[in-house]
Amino acid sequence: MKDILYKAFFDATQNAFKLMLNILEVSDHPAGDFKCDDEVDIAIGVTGDLQGKVIYRYPVSTSLNIVNIMSGMQFDAVDAFVTSAVSEIANIISGNVLTALSENDMNCDILPPEQCKLDDDKKYDINTSCHIRTAIGEICLEIRLNRA
Amino acid sequence: MLWKESYEIGVPLIDAQHKELFRRVELFLQVLRSEVCWDEKVQKVNETLEFMKGYVVEHFRDEEEYQQSIGYPGYEAHKQLHTGMVEYVLEFSKKYEQSNNDEQLIQQFGGKLLAWLINHVAAEDQRIADYAKKKG
Ligand SMILES: [Fe+2]
Ligand SMILES: [Fe+2]
Repeated sequence: MKDILYKAFFDATQNAFKLMLNILEVSDHPAGDFKCDDEVDIAIGVTGDLQGKVIYRYPVSTSLNIVNIMSGMQFDAVDAFVTSAVSEIANIISGNVLTALSENDMNCDILPPEQCKLDDDKKYDINTSCHIRTAIGEICLEIRLNRA
Repeated sequence: MLWKESYEIGVPLIDAQHKELFRRVELFLQVLRSEVCWDEKVQKVNETLEFMKGYVVEHFRDEEEYQQSIGYPGYEAHKQLHTGMVEYVLEFSKKYEQSNNDEQLIQQFGGKLLAWLINHVAAEDQRIADYAKKKG
């Protein structure tokens, strides 16, 4: 299950970068290599057959690059606009993963994106990180889910 | 320009509407992100918001009609995406009015609108074109 979810989130992220940003160079790497001090963390809650959340960790530079590409404008700092744009991308990727899972009889819903803290003292059956490098920066997805 | 030729789906009415949507969103972002003070931009921002509310509904209706005319199998699911966005826009407008035109709120709206529109046109609407092509 862990591997299926990891792959589903990686594929959906790769696809979003391709279609929305025209970024084709996207690859996954060991989670331990992801180092970032200044990041925007967005949680997408999951309910249904799987319960928990997925946290999208966007380094500030990646967030700004994403929004610069989408808007064709220059953003120099993370503000409400940037946070909301990368939150929507987290929402889109998660929604696409759930659609793919529903084809395998796994039915889940997602909650609206929320800015969040990384630490969390709960235990999860599935707890894995998907560290993704792209031509415009890295992101890391923390997948923390329990089976209902 | 935000619009890209690769977004075309090959249906003139729909493509023209998408182009207009992107043009309006671009104008909206230019005003929203300009350096002038909020009091100066608020009127223009509000005008665009009002326009978008009407235009988006009109476009969604035309696009749904087209989907039905070709028997697009993803019609119901796609319609739900449209309905979800219209609901979000209306809910946001209400909150924005009640807040007395709060700038933070509309910056948030702008970010979501941009990402939503690009994904919707580049990914979801493209599936309609893929189906029409396959069907021949
Ligand atoms: Fe459309
Ligand atoms: Fe559509």
